[in-house]
Amino acid sequence: MDIVIRNGSIVDGSGRPAYIGDIGISAGRINQVGQVRAQGATEIDATGKTVSPGFIDPHTHFDAQLLWDGAAKPAIEHGVTTIVPGNCSLSLAPLKAADRMKLVGMFNQIEEMPLVAFEQGVTWNWETFDEFVGRIQQDLTINVAPLVGHSVLRLWVMGQAATERTATATETAEMQSLLRQCLDAGAIGLSTSFVDMDEKLQPVPSRYADHAELDALCAVLAEYNRILQVVHEFYDIDLTIGRIDQLAELSLTHKITTTLSPLFINRGDFEGVDRVIARIVEQNAAGARVWPQVQTRPIDISFCFAVPSLLFIRLRGWYRVMRFGTPATIMAAFQDETQRQQLVQEATSMMPLWSTLILRQVQTEANQQYVGKTLAEIAELRGTDALNAMIDLSLEESLDAHFISADMGHNDDDKVGSMLRHPHVMIGASDGGAHILSFSTYGDTGYLLGHFVRDKQLLSMEEAIKKITSDTADIWAIPDRGLLKSGYIADITIFDANTIDRGPEYYVQDVPGDGHRYVRDAIGVETVIIGGAVAYDHLQGYSDEHRGQVIGAPQR
Amino acid sequence: MIKVRKSIHPSAADTWESIAARELAATPLDEGVASLQSWNLHVFSRAPAAAGSPRAGNPILPSDLVFLEPPLSAQ
Repeated sequence: MDIVIRNGSIVDGSGRPAYIGDIGISAGRINQVGQVRAQGATEIDATGKTVSPGFIDPHTHFDAQLLWDGAAKPAIEHGVTTIVPGNCSLSLAPLKAADRMKLVGMFNQIEEMPLVAFEQGVTWNWETFDEFVGRIQQDLTINVAPLVGHSVLRLWVMGQAATERTATATETAEMQSLLRQCLDAGAIGLSTSFVDMDEKLQPVPSRYADHAELDALCAVLAEYNRILQVVHEFYDIDLTIGRIDQLAELSLTHKITTTLSPLFINRGDFEGVDRVIARIVEQNAAGARVWPQVQTRPIDISFCFAVPSLLFIRLRGWYRVMRFGTPATIMAAFQDETQRQQLVQEATSMMPLWSTLILRQVQTEANQQYVGKTLAEIAELRGTDALNAMIDLSLEESLDAHFISADMGHNDDDKVGSMLRHPHVMIGASDGGAHILSFSTYGDTGYLLGHFVRDKQLLSMEEAIKKITSDTADIWAIPDRGLLKSGYIADITIFDANTIDRGPEYYVQDVPGDGHRYVRDAIGVETVIIGGAVAYDHLQGYSDEHRGQVIGAPQR
Repeated sequence: MIKVRKSIHPSAADTWESIAARELAATPLDEGVASLQSWNLHVFSRAPAAAGSPRAGNPILPSDLVFLEPPLSAQ
């Protein structure tokens, strides 16, 4: 045996009760589960620890990060062994050279990936999906099951017209052919968007597709038994139900699996969420396969005025200043009396929100006294209102004052917990690798197992592990992963069930171009095995093994 | 079965007027357009396509869902 894990509490991903046992690994696969007599070249004592299949994260945007970091850090540290990038109509391939900056703009606008990270972290040496797969396979530690984005298919085939009109029959046929090429090269499915805006605040290309075009692309997915992912109008219950019906029709027509994300569960709209779930149950009972994705973590948003923030997207004046400005012009806008008055006027109706924001980080010594206080408290100390306090602090800190809106919903434990364990709900929607300047998208699985399983006891460990391993693998048609079973690929996470959690969120400079992001460290995850080799150990850090695979890609 | 708001996928050339004429044929056109707009604020509040675009002046996108009746709570 290459590795033997001994005496662990085995939660095998099937939902069956945990039991104490060993796991033997050889040639990248699980060779034996139960009692292993043979000696391993590496022996891991898992006494007192839980041994489970590696976690699968089905909604990420690690596309760009994979080009400079084949481990998608810190995903593996949290026990994640497989990620699905390319969600929401956006993938980095297929992509003609002429369209690169357009796509970078969309990633920047929609997923908040800094432009400088692309400039300094990406060598553009691919166009086709196959070439992209070859590019990321060079240094891959984590497994990747990439979606291909509908918007990029349209850009490739239609160019500028992708953001202007529906496709002709010829163009639709070209997109079908291109999709086949992507699926042949290893794409796990197709993603589309009904909501996103591009870098010019115009609808992304997929939104100019009619239902017939989407139907034609789903016919290709059916040829390959592949999945359709959509991001829908998640802010509206009736629209969400309308999209469920649309996906159910596509699923029934083509016999494909579909998934929509995210589904948020907010106080004040539990009745609406219950209607959504009831419709899902009805459609799936009729034979459709429609899976809503529910994230585990509550919603919060952090921001500073140096970068555009989602929090201001409905305040057009503010958002335009942030989206199209430079730090100098944003400062100038705050300093100019007329412009400042206009901005204050536009945002005054949201004073209850500004009042609850917490100052989380500043640079100057003088303002450290305010860190941890709400803007309402700071405003009272300064004799102003919360909105003006936010502007003043931002000016004093040269825009490097960071605020957090900490209580933005999806935080009713009982209701969220009931959704997480619902048999028609997929746990996902982490957005891993995206929105890196608004919140940390890492640690959702630790939050699930620590908060919902251990602390609140709203799911059993076996249920929760099944949800994020074999259930996800089944839904996404990922073969040979998600179970601790003889013959399966050895993607395994070993953790301490008494301590597993997500650590506190902090701001770190580790993005190409001296960029920052919010991250969370893992707590309680001890060893992560990918493809039969230790990829990460909490004492040793990352190993030199690069056993990650692009799932579905031909062997090279 | 839960009650679901009636909706359509617009055709590529659809406008408020063409949808009202087709789907709300028994209603005067102006009234039908006004009703559609009030039932579909997610489309109505969107800036129309810019001048020079093939869809100039039309906020409706081919991928939209367009409701043909008011929210259930208002019925």
